Amino acid sequence: MGDPITDQLAQFISAKILKQPRRLIAGDEALITSGLVDSFSLVDLALYVEDNYGVHIDDTELNAESFDTLDQLTALIRHRQA
Amino acid sequence: MTLTHILVFALVSLVVGWAVPSRWRGWVLLGASLLAVYWLQPSTPIRYLDFWFPTASILLTVITWAATRTPQAQPSRRGMVGAALVVGLILVVALLRYAGPACCLTPSRPPDIWRVLGVFAMAALLVAIPIRFPVSKRFLVPAIIFLILGLFIMLKSPAISRWASEWLRVSGGQSALLAAASDLPWLGFSYLAFRLLHVLRDYQGGKLPAYDFGEFVTYAIFYPSYTAGPIDRSQRFIGDLRSATPGKISEALKPVNDPARQEQFVQGGTRILVGLFKKFVVADGLALIALNSQNAVQVTSTLWMWVLLYAYALRIYFDFAGYTDIALGLARWVGIRLPENFDRPYLKQNLTAFWNSWHMTLAQWFRAYFFNPFTRYLRSRRLNIPTWVIIFIGQLSTMLLIGLWHGITWNYAAWGAWHGVGLFMHNRWSDWTRSRLSGIVERPQLRKVMAFGGWLLTFNYIALGWVFFALPSLELALDVFKSLFGI
Repeated sequence: MGDPITDQLAQFISAKILKQPRRLIAGDEALITSGLVDSFSLVDLALYVEDNYGVHIDDTELNAESFDTLDQLTALIRHRQA
Repeated sequence: MTLTHILVFALVSLVVGWAVPSRWRGWVLLGASLLAVYWLQPSTPIRYLDFWFPTASILLTVITWAATRTPQAQPSRRGMVGAALVVGLILVVALLRYAGPACCLTPSRPPDIWRVLGVFAMAALLVAIPIRFPVSKRFLVPAIIFLILGLFIMLKSPAISRWASEWLRVSGGQSALLAAASDLPWLGFSYLAFRLLHVLRDYQGGKLPAYDFGEFVTYAIFYPSYTAGPIDRSQRFIGDLRSATPGKISEALKPVNDPARQEQFVQGGTRILVGLFKKFVVADGLALIALNSQNAVQVTSTLWMWVLLYAYALRIYFDFAGYTDIALGLARWVGIRLPENFDRPYLKQNLTAFWNSWHMTLAQWFRAYFFNPFTRYLRSRRLNIPTWVIIFIGQLSTMLLIGLWHGITWNYAAWGAWHGVGLFMHNRWSDWTRSRLSGIVERPQLRKVMAFGGWLLTFNYIALGWVFFALPSLELALDVFKSLFGI
């Protein structure tokens, strides 16, 4: 079992963005630089994070420089929740 | 930038990186950038414009700094020295008018000093308003955004440029008969405008840290990236600038044989040499056979038309990527890592991946300040618009704007639309195939075939899009399309 936030985010991406509910996404798998999550889906991901964790990810942060993996996104969420 | 510009900049960067103590480096970079803005400006047929354009770039930067300055910040000694350096160097450039044989840094003689002082007085007033009355920023910041966008539209639209040229010619006592859209070559404005817009929008969003006057001006007009990017973010650039120019003497006197300095020198030098080769050997060589409005009407063979088109596709990449390498190398020599602009874009297997690796800083700018907020608005308001419609509107409008950034003409709009539609098609295709073709992952041979097919289709789609970009009219572009497909 990993971090519950990472697991929930992985589930959201595989079910809602990739539409492959059984697809497993590793915590260190590249999401943006690999093209797995496109710019449109990134906005959906930001809205999901905002709705579920009360953390705002700014429009200027939706890029690989801010986070490229689930582990990095989870760390960003936890940092802002603290 | 010509080869002479690059060689002089390389010399300056070497001196700054190796011989100037790091606590002085910031001032030398600011001074070099200020002079470079004037030196890089090409001549214009309108009197004194080759002095006024660089001056306007600097003053617009200074006014933007004043309008986005944090209210608590007190005038610092560093800020005053920076302001004195900016005013002093502009005056030196203007006074070269009277220097006889030493005249001038600008392509033609600058205007007389009284006019320059008059403009300074007006600019000082504009700078004083937000500093003295911080409440005015609520109006001043949107006003600067509209001013920059207005200037951008004027410079990029041939009809408005011609009209502005007529007006400027008449105002300066010249004949309006020879006015042309090409009379207003404001060098570096496209990139400067996007740096300043980023700063202004981040200020409005409360995301802008406090910047020193000198470091802000250096960010906006930094000589390696002034003419052709990359469009860096101020937060990243200024962070780098601060670590490259520490004030402590102990950090300022690193020995010449320091491994970090040697690595910086080797990395920067390699990047510059690679860039020079890409730009002056590969791109300039390919330019001889690349598609243009002359050979487009002369060539009738389908095969040769494809050769011209592929040559153009490769030329534009090597030209732009070469300039970027040079800019990154020059910056590296002075201790600054500018962001990458290209990541092997022609090897990508789909158009989305191409736009994540082509002119990356421009694409990221448009995502951050247009696509993301626009899509977020459409998604979060629960407007009951189907997802595919939102994707289509978002992709098409973003790519149209990126096209129009190059020039407000039909051919650039068509190029933008070509890519907008392409991105939408790829989005729909991957959405449709994701669940259906997931079995391919387990079949390596089939995966290779799909990867090759994806690359072939993507590269040719991009190459065909360049037809609109390379040729000034849609009629000519359509003729080339007919020739390419033997119609």
